[in-house]
Parts: sequence; structure tokens; C-alpha cells
Amino acid sequence: MRPLRKSLPQWGTAPAAIFIFAIAILAGGLAIILQNESTFRAARDRQAMVAAQVLAQSVTAAVDFSDATAAQQAVNAFRVNPQVRYVGVFDRSGRVLAAYDPSATRSGANLAQLQPPPPSTYRVSVPIMSAGQRIGTVIYGVEREAVSRRLTRYVVLGSLAVLAALVIITLGMAQAALRRANEELTERAEALAQSNELLAEQIEERAKAEDQLRQSQKMQALGQLTGGIAHDFNNLLTVIQGSADILSRDELADDRRKRFARAIVQAAENAAVLTSQLLAFARRQPLKPELVDLSELVAGMTDLLDRTMGERIRIETILGGSCPVTVDFNQLQSAILNVASNARDAMPEGGTLRIKVSVVRSQAGEPMSAVAISDSGTGMDSETTSRIFEPFFTTKKTGKGTGLGLSQVYGFATQSGGDVLVESEPSKGTTVTILLPCSQAEMMIDRKADEAPLPAQPRAVILVVEDNEEVGHFAETLLTELGHSVTLATSGEEALELARANDYDVVFSDVVMPGMGGLKLAEQLAQEKPGLPVILATGYSQEIAQSGSGGRPVILKPYRLATLSQALVDAIVSGTASS
Amino acid sequence: MTTRRAFLKPVVAAIAAALLAGAPAFAEVSDVAVKAAFIPKFARYVTWPSSAPARTSAQMIICIIGDDPFGTMLNAAAAGQEVDGRPMAVKRLSSAAGASDCAIAFIDGARTGETLAALGRQPILTVTDSRSSPQRGVIHFTIVDRRVRFFIDNAQAQARGLTISSRLLALAVGVNQG
Repeated sequence: MRPLRKSLPQWGTAPAAIFIFAIAILAGGLAIILQNESTFRAARDRQAMVAAQVLAQSVTAAVDFSDATAAQQAVNAFRVNPQVRYVGVFDRSGRVLAAYDPSATRSGANLAQLQPPPPSTYRVSVPIMSAGQRIGTVIYGVEREAVSRRLTRYVVLGSLAVLAALVIITLGMAQAALRRANEELTERAEALAQSNELLAEQIEERAKAEDQLRQSQKMQALGQLTGGIAHDFNNLLTVIQGSADILSRDELADDRRKRFARAIVQAAENAAVLTSQLLAFARRQPLKPELVDLSELVAGMTDLLDRTMGERIRIETILGGSCPVTVDFNQLQSAILNVASNARDAMPEGGTLRIKVSVVRSQAGEPMSAVAISDSGTGMDSETTSRIFEPFFTTKKTGKGTGLGLSQVYGFATQSGGDVLVESEPSKGTTVTILLPCSQAEMMIDRKADEAPLPAQPRAVILVVEDNEEVGHFAETLLTELGHSVTLATSGEEALELARANDYDVVFSDVVMPGMGGLKLAEQLAQEKPGLPVILATGYSQEIAQSGSGGRPVILKPYRLATLSQALVDAIVSGTASS
Repeated sequence: MTTRRAFLKPVVAAIAAALLAGAPAFAEVSDVAVKAAFIPKFARYVTWPSSAPARTSAQMIICIIGDDPFGTMLNAAAAGQEVDGRPMAVKRLSSAAGASDCAIAFIDGARTGETLAALGRQPILTVTDSRSSPQRGVIHFTIVDRRVRFFIDNAQAQARGLTISSRLLALAVGVNQG
């Protein structure tokens, strides 16, 4: 833009220079013509004078003796020259002796009657001298210039003028065209800049709108998630509350009591799965890879799936063999539940959910464990199929789905080195296959450890620190049930004072508390009571997730009795060993 | 414009000259007068030998030998005429005797032949007139188309040591080259 404009004035001076050049050509041509003209005239005048003088010499005798015939003969010699306009020989008295006058307009009896020559004629007058006396006059007139010569001059002049005019016109037109093109270019550039600005504005607005949309989607998603979780939790709580109500009745038979207690345990486990999913969604729970056998996992999930799917849906499991995979157990469970719940929603009128576990080969030839979950539902068109892994993409009504389920499945599978395949056709159902690479490691952990008998409990004096009254009392009850002596503190500060005043075998503290938190308390106690073991308990702690617990044992809420019991035994043993 | 003005000058001068001269019409002048006017003018076209009296004497003498048809006309024509700065004079003779200092001799009358013979080979431009004599001098007047013309005998002129200008020869009715 700017260089273009700058270049304009430079172009502007050019036509002026060329105009001057054209004028110079014209002036030079004129000067040469005029110079030629004056040279020609001088030569012509000289020639005329010489001719007149020669005539005067040759007619001297004729004039002397008034011999008109002889004079006429001399004069007639000039007839051959077409440029001669008039020749006259006059005697002393001015009487014409001989004359040649092609136009026959200037002849007269004597010199006095002679007409003045027209402008086109150059005339000289030469005296005829004889013996020192003037005896007559010769008048000699020639055309100023030959017609051809005059024409040539006019043609040359005209050509020069035309040439100069052409140069000026051509340059003027070129200049005008250039200027027009420049203006057009400038206009276009300006228009471009304007549209660019407009575009930038639109982009900014769009970005803002997208931000807002994302924010609102996030809020919506959170709302959906919260709603869904609350719904699920309420269901679980219903089970727990109902079971607890029945348990509190006195006349309950032993086997039935156990059954209801197990129902509570199952509900709590499911609730724990839900919360872990919540944390996974928030991306605050790193994957904790462990060796999992898919067949075993699916078999273990049958009860859960039965309940999740509802009565209208029949569940078939085909366990065609599997290899152990190294994945996050909870995430895998969530992924299967997610796919299954989508399958359920695709079969509102009921149907069959088929879960098939098998070992397949990947494209690279690696063995993979595959869980194929098929439904006999409505299916999806190709457009929907291509989008189902997008976060927040959902075909469900508002409040029904988060749009995060399948995106969790995809994220988990790819993060674990596997893949997810979707086959679907409208009205023919959908099959989602989760592929996970087989692990080389051996199966080592028995997930059923929780069911193992409780270890023998040494009686201990325990300080429980818990700001939540209910959880605190529950822990107190639990530990008292195990035979320990328990003191309950509701804050870190209170716990520190109690620990200073009394001797405890172990401190069992919540991490997240108002005021002094569990980590802070543990550090303080490590200084003041170095031998006192501290067990930390938390549902979720950002602090621990980020910087760890400093080597102290951490029990994740909700915790099982066996887990707590084992941790206490370990702590007491280590505390006794160190002190 | 300049050429026209320059041209006007001689025109004006010619008109003035014509008025001053009184300009008698040529056609009305008699043949005799024309001849009288011609004779002094011949001197301008003739070259005499350097030793001739025509070149050496203080005056250029025009002689009339025999009859004199001119009266005062020749005197008038010769008056004011100069050749090489020398004035002209008219002398009348009855015979060739005493004609040795003549530059031009007009011979007329019955004894023209004798006179011509008597002049021998002297460097004198002899002029005769067909009106009165068939004998011819170097220049011999005649009338052609009622106008005065002349023959030139160049051979006789050369014999007399005279050289006649070609311009004069060109005006002659005939030239005898010998």
C-alpha cells in the first residue's frame, strides 16, 4: 500500500519531462526547417541576383541599340526555368524592351506601370550599365520557393506536429491508464484491509461466542453430571437406607441381616465407582495401571450390569478367553458401564445386551484383549457414528446424558494403548469394541483381597481426627468395634493439643479439614512426637495428589473395614518397631 | 515586405528618370536620329589597338566624311558620352585626308567607296549606310521591318585591328566573318 502511493509522484514527473521532450523535438525540427529556409532563401536570392546581373550584361547591347528582338531572345532563355515568375528589360526611359510574364498580369508598357510582385514572388532589380552609364533596368522575379519544396516543408512540419502530438497523447493515455490502475489497486487494497478488519472482528466475536458456548456447555455438562450423579447416588442411598432400616429391626434373622448388610456394602462400592468416575472426568485422578483380566472383570460386573440395565434387557456374556491387560481397573469398569448404559438407552423397548470377551490381533499383529458390547437397539447413522466420541456430543435429551461417557471410553482406551471400534447401522443395533493390548506381566493382585478375614487386632489407643461429625462417629464406632480405645478430635488444632497431653499408639486423621489439615498435623506431630504413626484418610486431596503424603499411609474414602484394620495393624507394628 | 519595398525604389527612380528626360516616343524618332544615337554607342563594343589614336588621344573623335545627314543630332548624341573617361567629339571631313585621328568614321555620300579605300587599313571603325551606298564599312546601316539595323563586317574589322564585342555582333542583321 504505502510503497505504491509513494511511487505515484515519481510517475507524475515523467509525463511532464516527456511533454517537454516532445516540445523540444518540435522546436528543434522547426529550427532546422527555419535554418534550411533562410539558407535556401539566401542562395535563391543570390541566384536571382546573379541571373539578373547576367541578363543585364547580355542585354546591354540590345538595350543600347533598342533591339527588342535581341533582348527578347535573351529573356526567352528564362522560359525553361519554371520558377521564374517575371523577367523584364527596360530601357533608360523605363519603356519595356522585352518581357517574360507567364501569368501575363504584370506586363506593362513601362517600368512605372509594373505591378508589385505577389508575396510568393521574390523580385530583384538590376541596372543595365554601359560605359559607366545606366542605360536600363532588368527586373527579375522568381518564385520564393518551389511548390514541391513548400509542400515538403509543410509535410515535414505536419509530420513533426503529428509525431509530437502522438507522443504526448500516447504518454498521456499510458499515464492515465497507470494512474487509473494505481487508484483501482489502492481501492482494492483498502477494501481488502477493511474486509480483513471485519474478518478479524468476526473472528474475535466468534471466539468470544465460542468461549461463552464452551462455558455454558461446561456448566450444562456439570449440571447434567451433577444431576446424573445425584440420581445414581439417591438410588444407592435408597438401597443403603432401606437396608439399614431393616437391619435396625430386632426380630431379623441372622441370614437376612447378612444379606442386607451385603446389599449396603454393594451399594457403597457402586457409589465409590461413581465418585471415581467423577474424579476421572475432572481429570484429577491419574490412571493407576494394574493387571486386570477382562473375563474376570466382566464376570464380576454381571450383577451390577443386571441392575443397571433394568428388567427389559437381557444380558448375555460370552467369555471367549482373554489375556491380562495393564489398565486402570476403575476406569475400565467405568468404560464398560458407559458403553452399556448407552446400549440400554438405545433399547428403550428392551432387547439383548451381548458382552463378548475375546483375544484378537491388532493390525500390527499384536495380541489384544477385546470387549465387544453389542445391543439390538436403534443403531446410528454414519454421521452420528463419526461424532460419538466428541466430548459433550449427545443424542439424549437435556438432563439425560452428559455427552462425556463415550469420550471417557475413547480417552481411556487410547491412553491405555488400545482403541475403540464402533459398528452401527440404523435399526440394526450397535457394537462397541474396546481393544486393549495384552500385558506381559503376570496376574499378581487378587481383587478379592477385601473379602479376606480381618487380621488379628492388637488393642491400641487411637486418636481419630475428623471434622465431619458423622464420619467421625462412624470411625469411632468402627474402631471401638475392633477393640481399640478411641478418642475423637474434630480439628487439627484440637488433635495436636490432645496428642501433646496424652500418649496415643496411632493417629488416624482426615486430610481436608478447616484450619489445620491432616498433612500439617502429621508434620507437626512428626516433630513433636517422632515415634507416633499417622494414618491419613481422604476422599480426594489436591495436596496429596500433587505432592504426595510424605511417605505416610493414605486410606481412600470410602474405606472398607478390612482396609482400615490392615492399615492400623501396619502402622502400629511400624510405630512399635521405630520407637 | 522588405523585398517589395526594395523593389519599389528602382520603380520610383525609373519613373523620375522618365519624367526628367521628357521621354520622346521612340517610334516617332526618325531613322536618322536613331543612327545618330547608335554611332557613339558603337564605341562601347569595339576595342581599338593600343597604338590607335582612338586609345591615345584625349578625345574620342567621331568623324563624318562626305555628306552629313545628321545635322546637330550626332553632336547631341555624342555629347556627354565618354569612353574610358574620355569625352567624344564630332569632326566633319570632306575626304579621307585628315581622318587618321578618327576613332569612328561615318562615311556617306557618292564617294563612299573611294573614302573607304583611302582609309586603307587604319584602325578606324568605319560606318556606312545602305540608304546612300552599297559599299560597306565595318558597320553598315540598313532598315529591317522599318527599324534601323546593321550588318557587321568582322573580317574588315579584324583587318583594321579592331575587336568587336560579341554582344554587338549578336545584334547585327548579318556578320561577315571573311
